Amino acid sequence: MSEALLRIEGVSKKYGPNTVLNDVSFEIGEGEVVGLLGDNGAGKSTLVKIMSGVVDSTAGDFYWDGQKIDKMNRNVTERLGVETIFQDSALVPQMTITRNIFMGREVTNRFGFMKMKEMDAVAADVLDSVVTIEGIKSPKQLVSSLSGGQAQAVAIARAVHFKRSLLILDEPTSALAVRATEALLGYLTQLKGEGVSSVLVTHNLHHAFQVCDRHIVMNHGKKIMDARREDTSVEELTAAVVEGAVGLARFRAGTF
Amino acid sequence: MSDTPPGRRGPILEVPLPTEAISVRRKPAGEPESFFGRMNYNLQFIRGRGALEISIVLVVLLAGYVIASLISPTGFAFLNPNNLSGVISQSVPVLAILGLAAGILMISGEFDLSLGANITLSAIVFIKTSEAAGLWLGIAAGIGTGVAVALINGIIVVYTKIPSFIATLGMSFFWMGAGIFINGTSPAALTTSREGTMEYLFAHNFGSFRSQLVWLLIIGVLAWFFMHRHKLGNHIFAVGGNPAAAEAISIKTKRVKLMSFAIFGGLVGFAAILIAVRTSSIQPGGTATEDFTLFAIAAAVVGGTSLTGGRGSVIGIIVGAALIELIRNGLLLAKAPGFYITLFVGVTIVIAAIFNKLMEGKAR
Ligand SMILES: Nc1ncnc2c1ncn2[C@@H]1O[C@H](COP(=O)(O)OP(=O)(O)OP(=O)(O)O)[C@@H](O)[C@H]1O
Ligand SMILES: [Mg+2]
Repeated sequence: MSEALLRIEGVSKKYGPNTVLNDVSFEIGEGEVVGLLGDNGAGKSTLVKIMSGVVDSTAGDFYWDGQKIDKMNRNVTERLGVETIFQDSALVPQMTITRNIFMGREVTNRFGFMKMKEMDAVAADVLDSVVTIEGIKSPKQLVSSLSGGQAQAVAIARAVHFKRSLLILDEPTSALAVRATEALLGYLTQLKGEGVSSVLVTHNLHHAFQVCDRHIVMNHGKKIMDARREDTSVEELTAAVVEGAVGLARFRAGTF
Repeated sequence: MSDTPPGRRGPILEVPLPTEAISVRRKPAGEPESFFGRMNYNLQFIRGRGALEISIVLVVLLAGYVIASLISPTGFAFLNPNNLSGVISQSVPVLAILGLAAGILMISGEFDLSLGANITLSAIVFIKTSEAAGLWLGIAAGIGTGVAVALINGIIVVYTKIPSFIATLGMSFFWMGAGIFINGTSPAALTTSREGTMEYLFAHNFGSFRSQLVWLLIIGVLAWFFMHRHKLGNHIFAVGGNPAAAEAISIKTKRVKLMSFAIFGGLVGFAAILIAVRTSSIQPGGTATEDFTLFAIAAAVVGGTSLTGGRGSVIGIIVGAALIELIRNGLLLAKAPGFYITLFVGVTIVIAAIFNKLMEGKAR
């Protein structure tokens, strides 16, 4: 196998005296969909924030295409093409859908003035091609007028639209109805075909199992399992997520 | 689900936008074709942002004034040319420019309660420099002072994370003192330098309008394009609306807030020049300019600016300023005692704030 797209080594994170992540290492291959699983508070979102460069790790090394990254921060991840949907929503409710989708990446003329018509048209396009969702009437709607699931669809549409090399989704389907969820999962599979890697954080192990090539299970800040899809099962993942390392050992011993 | 599998045609857009993406663009689904249909459609989405409602109130009030003035031209001399030009092109522009300053800063999620003290200090610096070194240096020094004062406030607020309300309230006393420090307690007055170009530029009466109105038009148009069409204005809205979201998408929130403070300062410095040239003298530590702090915030709030950031419009703020000045003028013409004005403006602000809150509730 060639170099992994992103490899993280020995990542730890402390908030004051609390160790939230403890010596976590793994890699994400090119075009690979990786499931990041674990109980509430296991450290998934923290790991996502570190990989996206919005939170500093206390220790750990990062390699992109085999090259060491001196310091992970938002500028670096932006340049590398890491795109994230954060669990604690990343939209501005008072702004329109279009302005949210293009926030920070406005399509402008060379004086910095925005091309509103182009942006509206592309936003409308993105919305009905990526995550078809009922009830969004126009990209000129304010995000505050959307339902939770509709807003989440906008966040997903934005991330997917600007996808470049690594797409990280932190519980993207938690507010989506069945149809939109199916569409999103289907889309992840398709991105894989285009060589885009993704990390999917979810509590729905069936969804994870459906689309992910590999599963990483976190427990109390530690990685307790890292298995390819063909080497594991929904049952084994369940044991690891619910009962941690002990449950995993018992499952493997056949006594779960 | 759409029929074509999503993603099949590859990335729809890489930044910057390739021309193919533009050529395949089409109208958002459901957008009507006819002119009125489109207007109605667009109106439906700008509702809930305040400017429309407040404009209706202004028009109704104006109509009332005109009728009252036609019925009793002497008892309620609203349509008297002197009154009209004084209100419309002198009081309104100054308050509107200050309202834009306060409003833009509020949209970014901050306040600056040292606005009045900033006016005093900038005006004093403008007067002293103009007297000593001529008009153009005076203008530069006045605006420069406004920007510097606001930026210092901004740096304190942004880097210490103290609520701007408290930080700038404290700094307000400091800047007030600074004015007395550089000028002494006697008023700073424009004498010979006021004649000619300066008067013509900032306070000239052209008959039906005055210089200040022209400045409001220029600044209003620039502010509109900047806030509503430029990406930096867009970032100000984003930072005020949800700083975490802006940060996550790699907008530099600190830089954007400092920029908002600087714009605030520039506008305040400019308004200080308008005020100084109109009145010819400024009293350091005086309360005349101090009143502008709350009136400017009032104009912004009445114009639909959210007190918590992220929402507001340039047109709304200008209309808000006009509404406040009209109410003030109406009370004056009706010979109401002075405290009525304060009372009335106070009530207007509270009603506007409640109205804003309701609008936010509806939009949510
Ligand atoms: N900013 C912070 N300061 C202090 N502790 C934090 C902070 N952010 C997260 N934590 C702690 O780190 C731990 C891991 O949190 P994290 O959000 O990564 O969990 P998670 O796996 O995403 O959980 P969930 O499934 O509920 O989203 C939690 O115990 C949380 O309390
Ligand atoms: Mg989480």
